Amino acid sequence: MQQKSEQKRLKTALPAIFAALVFLAVILIGANGTGERKYFAVSLVLLVGSMLPFFIHFERRRTQARELVTLSVLCAIAVAGRAAFYMIPQFKPVAAIVIITGVCLGPQSGFLVGAVSLFVSNFFFGQGPNTPYQMFAFGLLGVLSGILYNRGLLKSSRASLCLFGGLSTLLLYGGIVNLGTLLLSGLPPTLSAYLMVCLTSLPFDLIHAASSVFFLFVLAKPMIQKMERMKTKYGLFSSEK
Amino acid sequence: MRNRFAELHPAVLFLYFTAVILFSMFFMHPVFLAISLFCGFACSAALHLGKTLRFSFRFLLPMLLVMTAVNPLLNHRGATILLYVNDNPVTREALLYGFSSACMFSAVLLWFSCWNTVITSDKLVYLFGSVAPSLSLLFSMVLRFVPRFKAQIRTIENAQKGIGKGADQGSIFIRAKNGMNILSILTTWALENGITTADSMRARGYGLAGRTSFSIYAFNKRDKTALIVLIVMLFPVFYGAFTGENNIRYYPSLAVKPISFVSNLVYAAYFLLCAFPLLFNAAIEVKEHDSI
Repeated sequence: MQQKSEQKRLKTALPAIFAALVFLAVILIGANGTGERKYFAVSLVLLVGSMLPFFIHFERRRTQARELVTLSVLCAIAVAGRAAFYMIPQFKPVAAIVIITGVCLGPQSGFLVGAVSLFVSNFFFGQGPNTPYQMFAFGLLGVLSGILYNRGLLKSSRASLCLFGGLSTLLLYGGIVNLGTLLLSGLPPTLSAYLMVCLTSLPFDLIHAASSVFFLFVLAKPMIQKMERMKTKYGLFSSEK
Repeated sequence: MRNRFAELHPAVLFLYFTAVILFSMFFMHPVFLAISLFCGFACSAALHLGKTLRFSFRFLLPMLLVMTAVNPLLNHRGATILLYVNDNPVTREALLYGFSSACMFSAVLLWFSCWNTVITSDKLVYLFGSVAPSLSLLFSMVLRFVPRFKAQIRTIENAQKGIGKGADQGSIFIRAKNGMNILSILTTWALENGITTADSMRARGYGLAGRTSFSIYAFNKRDKTALIVLIVMLFPVFYGAFTGENNIRYYPSLAVKPISFVSNLVYAAYFLLCAFPLLFNAAIEVKEHDSI
């Protein structure tokens, strides 16, 4: 009994220890790193440090087969959707599907569908140094939509989803990926350089945001209905929220 | 010609690319940049010559010029002032740093083009299968579902066409509506079909203890030799990283560690590491030619 409570305490302490290690690494690199690449190193540590807990949690949860397959179906729809519109750059439904997943199945699943569908679709489009930033950004979109929906700040209405989808794709996704480009390229990490990178990619970010709004407008209602039906019919993801 | 390097064990390949890509991202010393850029280009060209040439001249070269030009306009650090643009100094250090980081970025992109050809999805699934079984199962299922959904879309479309509701029938609005309808049918089918798949998995014992997985990758003698050679070459490079051999200061003025005998050794090790795929291919070629 004693041992069990000890184990439980250790289990609750682990995330804190992990976060402390990440912070320590960031401070050490930020303070002691000499070269111009220290900002990039810090961003890599933060990316890995923030995504790893989600993946570890998913591994340890021993997801049941039905939930696992449902998640992979959603990822595959996102990937196939991205591939279907490949001729229009940045016109992709991934963000819309990730947001809908976050709303219906919770932040955890939203993160997974975001990160995994980007990772897999980059097998068709080519992996690059940007991949971790894109994975993180889409994962964040899923987490955020899940949390905001659970808090009641995001409604499942069309207008609310489209507004959130457009803004978050433009500002969050675009902002993070542009920051990645800035840090990767070795341009000076200043506000003016960041704004320049954002400005050059603004047309693409705008198309991306518009495509999110479009797909949410068309897909939100039927997709949410279908997923709610799956949840009630098979009792999936009841432990998530 | 068969690329013998790409046939190595996934773990060896993964270690190799992770090391080389990380080194290329962080070592800004001119010698290291030149080695990585040259070998990255050569390895990529050995895998697909035409694609590499097209990519290099159409994308990398213009990017190199633009980034070299843009950096000194955004960054005014550095001691040697070349000229003034709008009262802002353009420094030699910023120009050189812009050029170096453009070389670094090009090298990373070239190495990633090798990664994309060599590290295929099945190798990644195999590698992470033991560390993260649920994730790699998720990953491999997504890979399988994508072509399957595409095939199913065709089936649905044919059926819809039969009742006059194809994505190419009617006015443009009706077409769009029909297209969305096909996607909706696909989604419902995919979700329901997924449940069937999951039940079938459970019936066959998914998640039970003591199950093993099949893999076609065997760790043979050749992989062992390659791994040992790689590790032996990693040591001097790490030693160089810790003693500052591959470090360079750009601002306020350029400063590198003076070249010594040791730094030549570190350069040589880094070159052997980066050129490993080419050297390995050549070595196997010679060996097999001799044995015939």
